[in-house]
Amino acid sequence: MMHRRLAPYALAVGTATLSLLLAACNQATPAALPATVASAPVAEPAQAQATEAPTSAPAEQPAATDAPVEPTAAPAPAAQVSDKPYRVGIFSDLKTTNFWSYFGPNGSVWEQYVFNPTTTALYGLADQSFKIVPIAAEGMPERPLKKEGDFWIADIKIRPGITWSDGKPLTANDVAFTVNAAVGLKMPGSWATVYDPNFLERAEAVDDSTVRFVYKQEPGIAVHENNTLQGPILSEAFWKPVVDKVTEKVNALTAPAETASEDEKTAHNTAVSEALNELYNADSTGEPHVGAFSFNKWEKGAFAENIANTNFFQIGSTFSQFANGAYEEAKPDGTTFSAYGDPTGDKTLSFTGGPSVPATIYTVYQDQNAAVLALKNNEIDFFLNSLGLQRGLRAQLEGQDGVQIIDNPNNAFRFMGFNFRREPMNDKAFRQAVATLIDKDFVARNILQGVAKTVDTYVPKDNTFWFSDDVVRWGVKDDGTGMTRQERLEAAIKIMEDAGYKWEGDKKPAWDADNQQVVAAGRLLMPNGQPMREIELLAPSAGYDPLRSTYAIWIEQWLKEFGIPLKATLLGFNNLFDRAIIQQDMDMWILGWSLTVFPDYVRDFLHSERSGKGDNNSGGYNNAEFDQLANGIKTCLTYDDCKKVAADVQKLLSEDLPYVLLFETGITEAYRNDSIDFPYTSALGGLQFVQGLPNTVKAK
Amino acid sequence: MRRSKRAPLRPHSPVLMPKYILTRLGQIVITFVLFVILTYVLIESQPGSFAAAFAANPKLTTAQREALARNLGLDRPPAERFVIYLRNLARGDLGLSFTFYPKPVTEVLLERAPRTLTLFLTSTILSFAVGFVAGKVLAWRRGKAIEYGATVGGVMLYTVFTPWFGLMMLWLFAYQLKLFPVGKFVTPEVWRSAPVDANTVFIQMLVTIVLVSAVIFAVYWWTRRWTARRRSLTRWGVACVAAALAICYWVASGLGPYALNIAHHLVLPVLTLVLINFAGTMLLTRNSMLETLREDYITTARAKGLSDRVIRDKHAARNAMLPVATSFVFALAFAIGGGVITETIFSWPGMGQTLLQAATTKDIPTTMGALIFIAVLALVAHLVADLLYAVLDPRIRYA
Repeated sequence: MMHRRLAPYALAVGTATLSLLLAACNQATPAALPATVASAPVAEPAQAQATEAPTSAPAEQPAATDAPVEPTAAPAPAAQVSDKPYRVGIFSDLKTTNFWSYFGPNGSVWEQYVFNPTTTALYGLADQSFKIVPIAAEGMPERPLKKEGDFWIADIKIRPGITWSDGKPLTANDVAFTVNAAVGLKMPGSWATVYDPNFLERAEAVDDSTVRFVYKQEPGIAVHENNTLQGPILSEAFWKPVVDKVTEKVNALTAPAETASEDEKTAHNTAVSEALNELYNADSTGEPHVGAFSFNKWEKGAFAENIANTNFFQIGSTFSQFANGAYEEAKPDGTTFSAYGDPTGDKTLSFTGGPSVPATIYTVYQDQNAAVLALKNNEIDFFLNSLGLQRGLRAQLEGQDGVQIIDNPNNAFRFMGFNFRREPMNDKAFRQAVATLIDKDFVARNILQGVAKTVDTYVPKDNTFWFSDDVVRWGVKDDGTGMTRQERLEAAIKIMEDAGYKWEGDKKPAWDADNQQVVAAGRLLMPNGQPMREIELLAPSAGYDPLRSTYAIWIEQWLKEFGIPLKATLLGFNNLFDRAIIQQDMDMWILGWSLTVFPDYVRDFLHSERSGKGDNNSGGYNNAEFDQLANGIKTCLTYDDCKKVAADVQKLLSEDLPYVLLFETGITEAYRNDSIDFPYTSALGGLQFVQGLPNTVKAK
Repeated sequence: MRRSKRAPLRPHSPVLMPKYILTRLGQIVITFVLFVILTYVLIESQPGSFAAAFAANPKLTTAQREALARNLGLDRPPAERFVIYLRNLARGDLGLSFTFYPKPVTEVLLERAPRTLTLFLTSTILSFAVGFVAGKVLAWRRGKAIEYGATVGGVMLYTVFTPWFGLMMLWLFAYQLKLFPVGKFVTPEVWRSAPVDANTVFIQMLVTIVLVSAVIFAVYWWTRRWTARRRSLTRWGVACVAAALAICYWVASGLGPYALNIAHHLVLPVLTLVLINFAGTMLLTRNSMLETLREDYITTARAKGLSDRVIRDKHAARNAMLPVATSFVFALAFAIGGGVITETIFSWPGMGQTLLQAATTKDIPTTMGALIFIAVLALVAHLVADLLYAVLDPRIRYA
């Protein structure tokens, strides 16, 4: 029997609960889904920010045709097939709903997932093939650019009939406004990458449908097609008042002279930051959107919602790709656009775009285990995670009714780097011997049971246009098979002896055939006769990344056997980052990079001008030939030129070995195939790389 | 007559308590300042920097990264940043969050406070209530099977691996039995067209609970010396009226379904936390009761023929409650800090997660802001606990 003293409390709690129940019964049931665009699903070419990678572009400009077809009835926009929203799980809440802020200082992959479907760009990348194709533009970009005086000019025509979600037309003024705001305010983050003020002078609206990009130096493919033309477009009508106010404030600040004191410079920078903060903090409620979705709601900590944009200009288009590499967009008005060859023959991909769902709801889960339970419970259809599904959770989902697991290669690699500022890491022979000794396949297959996949090239194999197989593979025989332990040992010994290295007491490492192991060597002696000093390899700890720590442990063993006094130090991320990147106090280190499709990242990683403390080229790799080639990647003017440069760079790096490439992990994802359908599931980087395809997913 | 220094002071002397309170407040200020200095230095001393996040984007040039770091003031030397921070703190400005730049830290924390408080206050109060009642019963039934069973079960739950236990609760009640949702604090389909945000509803729920509880507690205190019948009628009556007013409010506001949705999501994490935490209070109460039951006045009470329930609840438990009350006050103060594990497992993003994320990425303003919140509450809780002791036990007075 309940204690009498607790009874009043129990009564209050019970009555409060009852009151909520009564109130709930009086209230309408969950509001009906917001009105959605009743239109056809539309293919979603890869995002504007998604990087690049045209595929089999012909030597000259891709032959593009905007040919009107026989006037048959234009394909009617496909009706929405379901009133069910697309339910997606994400693992972190948004930090902002302001696009200027997201694309500037507050960018993260979570905002990218939610906001990319709400915007568009002049050009983007086609699904799966990553070829550059027009989205809001008409026709392919022309090359070469025109030169007028000291400037290079590119005029781009905007596709007719594009409107914002509020019904107003998208014009060249919107494009020019966005570009000039980013360039004029020197906005940081992705703005500076996409609209690079080192190249871009300004953009102009020649007329409502023609935007002119004015460059102060000739932009290569990396700059113009790969970045500027794929930049986001924001509404001038909505943002101009705020941007003008901020611009006025910034322009009113007098930039200090070069000789000004640090305090003056700091004060100026602070004033500029405060002015820009007004833009980042500006309320974006009511902002019109031009993508397939409009941002609708953010319940902080819980979920975000995009609703379908009824005015989306690609609704009803049919997108096709062909075995011969051709691409075609058949628009609802009966016209077609095609590129990269004759759009005939076998199709490798074909779908009509969307959105075919009324909304996309991004629900925040803080834990992958909970998200997996939610997927199994049919509370979500898919979840987005740039790291993919952990192995144990994959095992939980295998065989689960209604759940489909998909595996894709990841656009990333893990590597071991050398600090060129120190001996013997600055000796190519040492690096090549080390690369030969490291049996990557053994660790990936035997130790890690296939969780890791060996990587030998700076461009993944699945990035088909940019991939080059013409690289040196250390520890691999001419027939492509891996060397045995003995063969590796002998090859490495030869490399070191040819370079003048010896072993203490002449005790070279030897292969014990009876016991199938290496008889450890004496310490290696440098070519000058001095014993090699102890070398430290910094690597992530098992708690941070068990895969990389496993590689580190095996590398330590192999090199020690060889006579290289290596010590593997396993650290947490902060410590590792601090030592390897900020202080550059390391001999060798293991980290990783996620990649873009266009391979100009090799310049970002390894150019000699990026070797300052805190910058990408932590190892201080300094090779004039590489620098020249890497600069060429940024300035090449045709895809074929860029492709040749990319191949040369990959070969050079495989010989020179600033990094020993180790592995990538692939990406595993899962979705409910009883409630949604994707137009395709194989994609480099997984479906998360294309934001989970909200524009083209169909709800069942 | 002048009071001798040795003469015993009257209880509740109005002269002494204010002096004691003032002295303690002075100590609190000194402790707080030392805490801020030490914590800031410790966090700043961690290796790494928030700017490390910019290095994850190799496309950013050095100049661009420096510009981003300058935005956050990270271009200045640590000592200068520390002085600026103290100066701003003295003005009540906790700075701008690095993670949620350029949102003020206060705004970031206040966004998370209502849902943190709702979850952790509810579970703290319930776990203490359950633990206190269980501890009383166990002490009274010393040597019986229920004592052993409850003690073993409670200790097992107290020491269980929390992430595993939380996931098991989710798996059982949400996935298998489908009684509750899989984590989160709202159901998106219900909230998509809500007229207010969740924090508004959380705050109103908290206010409702606090007001109703305050009214019931006030009536309880006010009627404690009345006759049994009159006391019972009054308490029941007021409780009903308070509850009825709460019902009317929620019905009239139209927010009832949303509050109910939150309450539905609240049950599982609260249940989990109560199961994990009640044993601590239970064992503390039990030990305190066992000590109290040995007192002479308990023997006297038995000799007087009082019932077991009256002896246990009115005589023994009241005195055994002192250490429990102190522990309760501290626990309430730390409720604002939330709990990273619970928040993560149940997707209930609150102060705990924010603090962890900020600390691991070296977002100093957010970390300091969260720790300062917790510190202030903890220091005030210490004072309140000491004063509460004096209120509960007339034998205790401070000089």
